[in-house]
Amino acid sequence: MSQLKLPIPRETDFKSRLRDPAVASRVGLWLGVCFGLAFLTGLYSHFAQADYTWFPLPTRPSWLYRVTQGVHVAAGTAAVPLLLVKLWTVFPKLFARPPREKRALVLHGLERASIGVLVATAIFQLATGLANTSGWYPWAFSFRATHYAVAWLAIGALLVHIAVKLPVITGALRTDVDAADQDRPGGAATTGGLSRRGLLRTTWVAAGLAVLTTTGSAVPFLRSVSVFGVRSGRGPDGVPINKTARAAGVTASALSGEYLLSVSAGDRTRTLSRAELEALPQHTATLPIACVEGWSAVAEWTGVRVRDLVALVDGPPGAAVLVTSLQRRGHLRRTRLPGNFVQDADSLLALRLDGEPLSLDHGYPCRIIAPNRPGALQTKWVGSLEVET
Amino acid sequence: MTITRGLFLTLGLAAGAVGALELLARGSHNLISATTWLVGGVLLHDFVFAPLVVMLLLAGMTVLPSWARPAAAAASVVLVTVTLLAVPVLGRFGARPDNPTLLDRPYAAGWLVFAGLVLGCACGWAFVQRRGEGRQ
Repeated sequence: MSQLKLPIPRETDFKSRLRDPAVASRVGLWLGVCFGLAFLTGLYSHFAQADYTWFPLPTRPSWLYRVTQGVHVAAGTAAVPLLLVKLWTVFPKLFARPPREKRALVLHGLERASIGVLVATAIFQLATGLANTSGWYPWAFSFRATHYAVAWLAIGALLVHIAVKLPVITGALRTDVDAADQDRPGGAATTGGLSRRGLLRTTWVAAGLAVLTTTGSAVPFLRSVSVFGVRSGRGPDGVPINKTARAAGVTASALSGEYLLSVSAGDRTRTLSRAELEALPQHTATLPIACVEGWSAVAEWTGVRVRDLVALVDGPPGAAVLVTSLQRRGHLRRTRLPGNFVQDADSLLALRLDGEPLSLDHGYPCRIIAPNRPGALQTKWVGSLEVET
Repeated sequence: MTITRGLFLTLGLAAGAVGALELLARGSHNLISATTWLVGGVLLHDFVFAPLVVMLLLAGMTVLPSWARPAAAAASVVLVTVTLLAVPVLGRFGARPDNPTLLDRPYAAGWLVFAGLVLGCACGWAFVQRRGEGRQ
């Protein structure tokens, strides 16, 4: 039987003059900007959800989380074409033969290891983030915790990579992109039809189109061109839904005629039916709901101020409130509304959305809506409010 | 330069350590699953996707006349990267029967329009190139 043997290519077998530091450093610069933006906005989102006492979130501006999370997803989306082109330009490096000399070999090995971590974590972050925006979880690990941990690994590997390559990067960025002195030894034979500048322009167009065709879920005026947007923005009362009442298993308890909201502070407890809640002073606020998955929508919410409910049971002003949903399962069944959010005049236990009673999937009989909060913490189907004393 | 590089290196190693500790803290079940996806992504790119792109490029450059090459290369970059990005919505893998507000667009039709526009632009460019070459 004859054996088919494919030769392993060498770095010098790749002839294109597009695969060189002139292109790699320019694409890398913007890829670094995207990863930096995604990292910082991701950290902000993580802290916003983790509710650390040493990181108190502001309640204003009310649109802050909407913007940071929109930027997070847009930066990650733009990074997909940038990363693919960047990996294409440096692909020959995969076949670089290790040096013979001992010290050089150790350094080479360390650099290859750091590149391995960088490529693995970069692909991982973009793939898992992208799948998450569309509600797709084909893995066994916990998305939020793992995406957070790998973000630190990715940004760490990126910083190490910049440290190693800084002389190459600054040298390449200072010279004209199509200058011949930037050619790799052994390269420069072919261009594949595009000039370096042409490839760069194409890459910027691809990154721009990636964002345009997907961000309509967060930017309403882009909806018509966002053919790959996860949500069209339609839904009951013009607001999409993340988790339905059926998925949360609350249909029966939320629609029950015996529904009562319990409000407590220490040993003082009040129970209120939905009709009693409607009889309390109502307040209307126009607030965005901004999901961690990147979509957002602004709506007009009407209901009782949370601070008025706290006052009903003589809760101390400035205290946090534990909000428990009628949901039986899920780690977001119970959330904590920090004191500054409780005090905000626009933090509501909403009963209506755009003038209509809340639909079941939007949290009937009542839900929390507060300014500048991740959507996951805007608890729906509220069963009880406990003032921390 | 040396100080800047040293700073980047130190910060990078520190951030990496934070990530490694965070990942380890989630337990072995989470770690094994995450590692599988981390390694799988690199293998898929380096040994499936990238060689496939290299081979298709070589084939394209051999078959296409010189005036069509820049347009074909640019169109491929845009189409391939945006299509990969659209895989989760094109496959509608996250769709849930109880939630009609999720994945509620005609994605296949959207892709056809997108691909049509990109190819249309590329053909226009190639046509201009051909006329330019003819004049020379």
